Amino acid sequence: MNTDDLIRSLATEVRPVRRYALGRRVALGIIGGAVVTLALVAAGLGFRPDLSLAMHGFSFWMKWTYTVSLGILAIAATIRLARPEAPPMRWLWLLAVPILLLAGIGLGELADTPTRDWLAMWLGQSWLVCPWLVLALSMPIFIGLLWSFRRLAPTRLRAAGAAAGLAAGAWAATLYCLHCPEVSAIFVLTWYSLGIGLAATLGALIGPYFLRW
Amino acid sequence: MQQSEDQLRTWMTGGMDGDAAAHAALLRALVPMLRSFYRRRLIGAGDDIEDLVQETLIAVHTRRESYDRGRPFVAWLYAIARYRMIDHLRRQRATVPVEALDEILVAEGFEDACAARIDVGRLLSQLSPKQARAIRDTHIEGLSVAEAAEAAHIGESDVKVSVHRGMKALVARIRGARA
Repeated sequence: MNTDDLIRSLATEVRPVRRYALGRRVALGIIGGAVVTLALVAAGLGFRPDLSLAMHGFSFWMKWTYTVSLGILAIAATIRLARPEAPPMRWLWLLAVPILLLAGIGLGELADTPTRDWLAMWLGQSWLVCPWLVLALSMPIFIGLLWSFRRLAPTRLRAAGAAAGLAAGAWAATLYCLHCPEVSAIFVLTWYSLGIGLAATLGALIGPYFLRW
Repeated sequence: MQQSEDQLRTWMTGGMDGDAAAHAALLRALVPMLRSFYRRRLIGAGDDIEDLVQETLIAVHTRRESYDRGRPFVAWLYAIARYRMIDHLRRQRATVPVEALDEILVAEGFEDACAARIDVGRLLSQLSPKQARAIRDTHIEGLSVAEAAEAAHIGESDVKVSVHRGMKALVARIRGARA
């Protein structure tokens, strides 16, 4: 096609772009995926029976603070990487803050616990399945973000995939908290982080293939 | 003639507000910019240049949401153009591995390139209009001497002389500024 004709045909359908359209699109992808993940948690795993009681306790909010803060930072990185001229992100060191805070709480727990109980506290009841469930539950959110990216312009595909995977993993872990009864900080620090890390790694691996445009 | 960043951004935001005429004006203004961008980087690519220009225009159109109204437009445009070029090279010969994409984008330093463009604009504005235009047409827009002569309605030798004298004046100015 002749370039002038192309321009003419493109200019016939000029839909307005709302302010913050990029943020809205990313939010829509995450929320769409999160609804599926929430349904999977509710139907497949079941909410923890003591959920309303647990929501008054410290460990529940410790877990949510950890996963939500990772999730927010990951969304910010995803939005940056959805622009073609993604600037350097020096603020990513902030990811270390929730990790170090949780590690601090974990050290406090270890100090208060007799050494013979350390292993049981670290492994909890569900260490074998926790990372894999977080990874599996992150998939709907990751797919939602792949949908978001279809109208966006990532140019650093591996980094964009990793950020999307991190966001998907962190928000999947947040919803998984509604099921998971584990209470110790070192459990969350190890097995939740492993699941979230697996999601980010998977995103980095498949990003270049699924995000190409 | 390349439009200014301000003009391009005005058209872009106009198009994003739904103004079809502004959008069309933007896309038309991008054509020569993109042609010279690809011509300088893909020597001997021939017909591929026009394909790349069109693909880039389509990307500018369909991926407008990734533009932030508060940021420089030209940096956004060239980031997309550079991505399309790397994708083109990979499709053709697979000489650029997917893994190296990040590094290439960083190493190419588009911000520096944009800054350099702005500096060039400032330098050229110190020359006579004829010299500035001759240099811009032949060295930035990528026109041949014959094309530049026709566009400016002057003789080919006039273009060559203008480029030569303009360059000499620029070199003198830069040396003077450094000394």
